[in-house]
Amino acid sequence: MKKIFDNIKRWWSTLFQVWIKEYRLVFSDLGVVLFFIALPLAYPIVYTLIYNPEIVYDVPVAVVDNCRTADSREFMRMIDASPYTKVAGYAANLEEAKTWMKERKVYGILEVPHDYSRRIGRNEQAVVPIYCDMSLLLRYKSILLSTTDVSLQLGADIRTEKIDYSPAALLSTAMGSTVNTESFFLGDVTQGFASFVMIGIVVLILQQSLMLGVLMLGGGSSERRRKNHGVDPEEIHGPMSASVLGRSMCYLTIYAPLTIYILHYVPVMFSLPHIGNPLDYLTFILPLILASTFLAQMLRPLISERESSFLVFVFTSVLFLFLSGLTWPRSAMSDGWFMLSSLVPATWGIEGFIGINSNGASLGTMSTPYLMLWVLTVAYYFIAVIIEKWCKRRDLHHYNLPSVP
Amino acid sequence: MHFNWSALKNAIIDGVRQLASRPIYIITMIGVPLFCTFFFLDFMKEGLPLKTPAAIVDLDNTPVSRNVSRNLGASELVDLKYHPTSYAEAMDLLKSAKIYGFFMIPRNFEADAKAGRETTITYYCNMAYFIPGTLSFKTFKQTAVTTSGSIVMTTLVGAGVNQELVGTLMQPVVTQAHTIGNPWLNYSIYLSNSFLPCLLQLIIFQVTAFSILQEIKRGTSVQWIKDAGGSVTIACAGKLLPQFVIFSVTGLAIQGMMFGLWDFPLNSNPLNMITAMLLLVASSQAFALLVACTIPNLRFSLSILSLLGILSFSIGGFSFPVEDMYPAIGIFSYLIPVRYYFLIYVNVALNGYEIYYCRWDYIVMILFLLAPMGMLWKLKRSSLNPVYIP
Repeated sequence: MKKIFDNIKRWWSTLFQVWIKEYRLVFSDLGVVLFFIALPLAYPIVYTLIYNPEIVYDVPVAVVDNCRTADSREFMRMIDASPYTKVAGYAANLEEAKTWMKERKVYGILEVPHDYSRRIGRNEQAVVPIYCDMSLLLRYKSILLSTTDVSLQLGADIRTEKIDYSPAALLSTAMGSTVNTESFFLGDVTQGFASFVMIGIVVLILQQSLMLGVLMLGGGSSERRRKNHGVDPEEIHGPMSASVLGRSMCYLTIYAPLTIYILHYVPVMFSLPHIGNPLDYLTFILPLILASTFLAQMLRPLISERESSFLVFVFTSVLFLFLSGLTWPRSAMSDGWFMLSSLVPATWGIEGFIGINSNGASLGTMSTPYLMLWVLTVAYYFIAVIIEKWCKRRDLHHYNLPSVP
Repeated sequence: MHFNWSALKNAIIDGVRQLASRPIYIITMIGVPLFCTFFFLDFMKEGLPLKTPAAIVDLDNTPVSRNVSRNLGASELVDLKYHPTSYAEAMDLLKSAKIYGFFMIPRNFEADAKAGRETTITYYCNMAYFIPGTLSFKTFKQTAVTTSGSIVMTTLVGAGVNQELVGTLMQPVVTQAHTIGNPWLNYSIYLSNSFLPCLLQLIIFQVTAFSILQEIKRGTSVQWIKDAGGSVTIACAGKLLPQFVIFSVTGLAIQGMMFGLWDFPLNSNPLNMITAMLLLVASSQAFALLVACTIPNLRFSLSILSLLGILSFSIGGFSFPVEDMYPAIGIFSYLIPVRYYFLIYVNVALNGYEIYYCRWDYIVMILFLLAPMGMLWKLKRSSLNPVYIP
């Protein structure tokens, strides 16, 4: 009985010793401090500044007016007046407009056909071709929005005019408005780019900076083991399950203020969507942080040297961003990628944080990602303990052999 | 002047030996880029995320409203996965991202519409997920407008207006968008062509700095310079030339997968893109060498290059146009090599314009190669007095 009691006592004392010791290891390592503190502080700001103009206004387009009537000029004036496009110039013919496109002076061409006015006068449909540069979808979207709006507006004007002169004038009030359509947007109501992408990216920044820092610490520990015959002098001896948890508690306490900064102050600073209940999203993000610390400790054996963590890990940010379903919905992923994405904490973190922060969902509505994060946390904890144990034994054996220099 | 060929030969042999000494080089130089290429191309192989989950709330339940349901269900872009019975239920599904949008037909819709009383079709889209939100919006808008239009048409024709006239009056002016180079609006073509070269640039940045500054960290840099006959230029060339060959092969393999196996548009002579890729590899190496010379500390150089490499994805203007960024920020896009590769790709491969129009982009990439020349002395000084700060 006393032995069990001693074991419990030893477990807890290891936990606290490792916890305290880890602070010293973190703060004596400039590289780790950079990734643990400077990066989460600076990166969200730099990123948001890049995307902060939100919407692509005034895309330059060229106009080829083959009709040259008051009608066609009205069309062009409306295109120029639209917030999304501006007329950069009137080209004499399509060839001249194409040259402008090649010189990147314009990103779209509107060609008004020679019979544009005549067709409207004859009550026929007038078709205006538009040629769009497809290098950036946001530019294409702006051109499309502007031209669709203008053609609908012109259509409504023409219709009112025609019907007013016809015997059906009495109906003109009724016809416009029997069935209305209305659209409502959630999450990113202004459809701005920063408001969409940053909400996901901040969660990814939390996970990636944390994991990179932990992997760097792991690389440092590997280097010390290599130099000291497989024993890391900074390591505290005790049950591995306590050590792994102790380290995570250290990272968790360091990240607590940073999490509040990233999830609350960054959206407030840049007026990004932010309508969630702070208690809900902070509770939600706790298992994300824990799961990331355990996942990183699990991957530590891959890193034999402090600096190689960059080469092995940095590129995964791009993959994780796509796996998260922020741009390509998870429902459209193939089974293999879908399963892989389920193993990344940020996938669930981004889904839940968008739900709570942008759409105003409650923690209860977000129960699936929340539970999945806890499942990952528990699973990664046990795997990390097993791997660390194995790794310690391997290093002790490997570096102790006299044949290895 | 006598050029020390044997020193260059020794340096290259040393460089190759270093690459073969640890698996991490081959894994990051060949394995990672090719895996990521496969990932991107396979991940988005459908081009557009078809069948976005959506819902319809039909409070009317009449032949007309069921017809709307059927029309929506038959569309390519949305999949009516749920039929919730109330607005609140649908909203919960929307907030929890089980669906990306829902369409709502009000109570007494058919009766009101036929009697000429005002009634409103509403639809809700979750724009926090840009692409599925926009796709469901597009489908819903189309369905809503055609539904409302067909009812108006019926009313007008019933009142005695000529049917043909009504038809054209519904839309007297239409615009017809021609999407040059990517008529399928394929998302993978749009994204892979910029993100994969940018990923390659990131890895080149890292490996270049890692392989050079490793010598200083391990204290072998004095010997390294000595083996190259005391010339830091030859020493760097010995490391960077073999890497250039490997990265070029990797880069061309990426292009081969995109333009060859996945049939992405390549509307020009392939040599133009091959040249651009070789220049991308060389200019990225030069950029990384410049940073490594300026900050000859492995940790700091790698941190800075990793941060720049990741920021390139945004600052490169692959999704948000550089012209629309704040000028003080957008200007930085002109400092990164992959921006020029992207501009060349758009002009040459996507749009098929003559390379005359992107001559400056080629020239700038060549100029990148000169950038590190002025700073090599600093690398030499640190190499001869190696200090490793952990």
